[in-house]
Amino acid sequence: MKLTATREAFLDPLQAIIGVVERRQTMPILANVLITARKGTVRMTATDLEVEMVATGEIAADGDGEVTLPGRKLLDICKALNDGAKIVVDITGDKATVRAGRSRFTLATLPATEFPVVEDIHAQQAITLPQGALKRLLEKTQFSMAHQDVRYYLNGLLLEIEKGRLRAVATDGHRLALCDVSLNAAADGNHQVIVPRKGVLELQRLLHADEDLTLSLGTNHIRVEVGTIRFTSKLIDGRFPDYQRVIPKQEGKFISADREDLKHSLYRTAILSNEKYRGIRLDLAENALRIQAHNPEQEEAEEELEVSYDGQSMEVGFNVNYLMDALGALDGETVSVQISDPSSSCLIWDAGTEGCQYVVMPMRL
Amino acid sequence: MSGESAAGTRQRCIAHVDMDAFYASVEQRDRPELRGLPVLVGGTGGRGVVAAASYEARRFGIRSAMPMTEARRRCRDAVCIQPRMSHYQAVSRTLFQVFREFTPEVEGLSLDEAFLDITGSLSLFGSATALAQRIKDRVREESGLAASVGIGPNKLVAKIASDLDKPDGLCILLGDDIRAALDPLPAGRIGGIGPRTVERLAGHGIHSVRDLRAAPESVLTRVFGRFARQMRQRAEGLDERPVCTHRPDQSISAEDTFEGDIADPAQLRGELGKLCDRVGQRLQRKNLRGAVVAVKLRRDDFSTFSRQRRVSPPLGEAAPMLRVTAELLDTWLAENPGARLRLLGVGVSELSPATQLSLFGQGTEGRDLDQTLASIRERFGDDAVARGRARPRD
Repeated sequence: MKLTATREAFLDPLQAIIGVVERRQTMPILANVLITARKGTVRMTATDLEVEMVATGEIAADGDGEVTLPGRKLLDICKALNDGAKIVVDITGDKATVRAGRSRFTLATLPATEFPVVEDIHAQQAITLPQGALKRLLEKTQFSMAHQDVRYYLNGLLLEIEKGRLRAVATDGHRLALCDVSLNAAADGNHQVIVPRKGVLELQRLLHADEDLTLSLGTNHIRVEVGTIRFTSKLIDGRFPDYQRVIPKQEGKFISADREDLKHSLYRTAILSNEKYRGIRLDLAENALRIQAHNPEQEEAEEELEVSYDGQSMEVGFNVNYLMDALGALDGETVSVQISDPSSSCLIWDAGTEGCQYVVMPMRL
Repeated sequence: MSGESAAGTRQRCIAHVDMDAFYASVEQRDRPELRGLPVLVGGTGGRGVVAAASYEARRFGIRSAMPMTEARRRCRDAVCIQPRMSHYQAVSRTLFQVFREFTPEVEGLSLDEAFLDITGSLSLFGSATALAQRIKDRVREESGLAASVGIGPNKLVAKIASDLDKPDGLCILLGDDIRAALDPLPAGRIGGIGPRTVERLAGHGIHSVRDLRAAPESVLTRVFGRFARQMRQRAEGLDERPVCTHRPDQSISAEDTFEGDIADPAQLRGELGKLCDRVGQRLQRKNLRGAVVAVKLRRDDFSTFSRQRRVSPPLGEAAPMLRVTAELLDTWLAENPGARLRLLGVGVSELSPATQLSLFGQGTEGRDLDQTLASIRERFGDDAVARGRARPRD
């Protein structure tokens, strides 16, 4: 098999899929990318057995065939060649020769038959929505996912289709982020899946323009098709906790504050909070919020902020990172923070960021 | 505050208080019939070790950490007693209350040993000697036990001083007396110099603190690396470490040496359960959680292994701890088939305060059970209740 194209035509699909290739693998073939030529179309596939990415390239092939090549090496070679260079990849036996101008590289191949691919995901539901909408859902929530938690179902993002809305929920057990959008196309039935952490991060990288994408959900996989790229991820097989139960109702008194001001006050106070535990104290009184932090060296920070609040006075502790993450994800000018008591969850939202809610559990002072 | 600036301020005065043969003395205090007899406190089973030996027993060359069988061979008449840890802890609390009468700056080293920074209290008592005597008197009044007190300008000297005049000692080392007292001591008496280092120093002809003080720079650098300067200062009786009132726990662990070696995985898991209970209870009492869980394994040939795993979120309860340690144990057993273990330990480190509240329950699986077990044990003793898995099988 012989593949011919410009450097850029090789680079585009390679760069789109390379994030999936782990730097250290359990199986040697996972370091490779699968290249298939069929009926004049050349595809490249990368997988880590959990997430798979397939990209189509503007590459000419001299017939049908398939092979796997070391992914990162091929990418590095293409990157290092001159702009617009014409590349010819010639595969004979277990070697592949890459030629461009006066450069020549011989790479080892592995049999394509050994490369694990996901064919049909047996989709039960497929929806179409703008890329931007899904990108927003991920950006507004993914930072709350757990990382290597023993509760494995938290190491991912819940995607839920319910009553014509698509919702993303992430939680690490201490805080929770929720964002939802309404779907234009009729989506019948309800569906809940948990996309693993790595899949979420790769998917987020993939989404750009305002073109539409197709999202399909199978029993064990999620698949998203965007332009020339197809993303497939296994799902986490587990029950996501009942998130509705832990989101406080918007009722009673809440604090209204300038979002940027509050964020900056927290940011400054955080400098002198305990580097590991990040605890800060909010001292809440009528129309005034005081933020305090101190560290093991007994250094102290204090900020005072004018807010609008006519509820009960109280002192409550928080991990400042959780608050800053939530405030950073919102877009509006004025943020609302509802705290009912120092040991119950706090709800953060703003009128300018439709569909987003953040819940943070306090720290004991 | 750096040592340099501290040097310019007034001289510190540190006391080191160390109870004499603590566990054994408590037993002799509680049971008058034991007074004057060689008493050994420690594991009385086949492979227990001496945790404390009364001074009567020490005359036979018995030292703590010596295997009990060896101690008994040296002194057939010794009275051997199983330790009553919770009782010693209660006595210890009384002792520390006494220490705090003299200064709030008390750094406990163990149940029966503490540093007291008495720089500020000295003027109230007139002299260091008067203060040391007062500490000893108050300890005896409150606990009926004898303490050895050493006073020096820093922790290093205070600790050496308390040891010079044991038992029931009182020793003040200040000024020129320090060098005279330290010089003839073996180098291993300096904190931070263990048996390995002693050997290496001996290879360079360094045996006493005097040798260490006079050793060439190059030798010290070879042995101690970047700590060379610090070690020479120690040999000169200089030590700038402050008395730390509150030293945060680095890790919490428990271990057990078995009566007989155990190879049966089920039985080992039972032992693991008991250890996890102990560690869990201590974590919960201190309101801490740990992010790294480890098991320690010692084979019958004394080769020792440890296996650890990071857990997220950090845990503080026995049940999840048992799950993780059992996996670590099983993996190790699979790598070492047929291994017979004489010791098993469980440790939890990277501790953090359990202050972050959780959205879904408190992430405290099994905590109610842990607390029930703890309260039963507190009232009826450690053996009053055990988990099903931890019970020996008939």
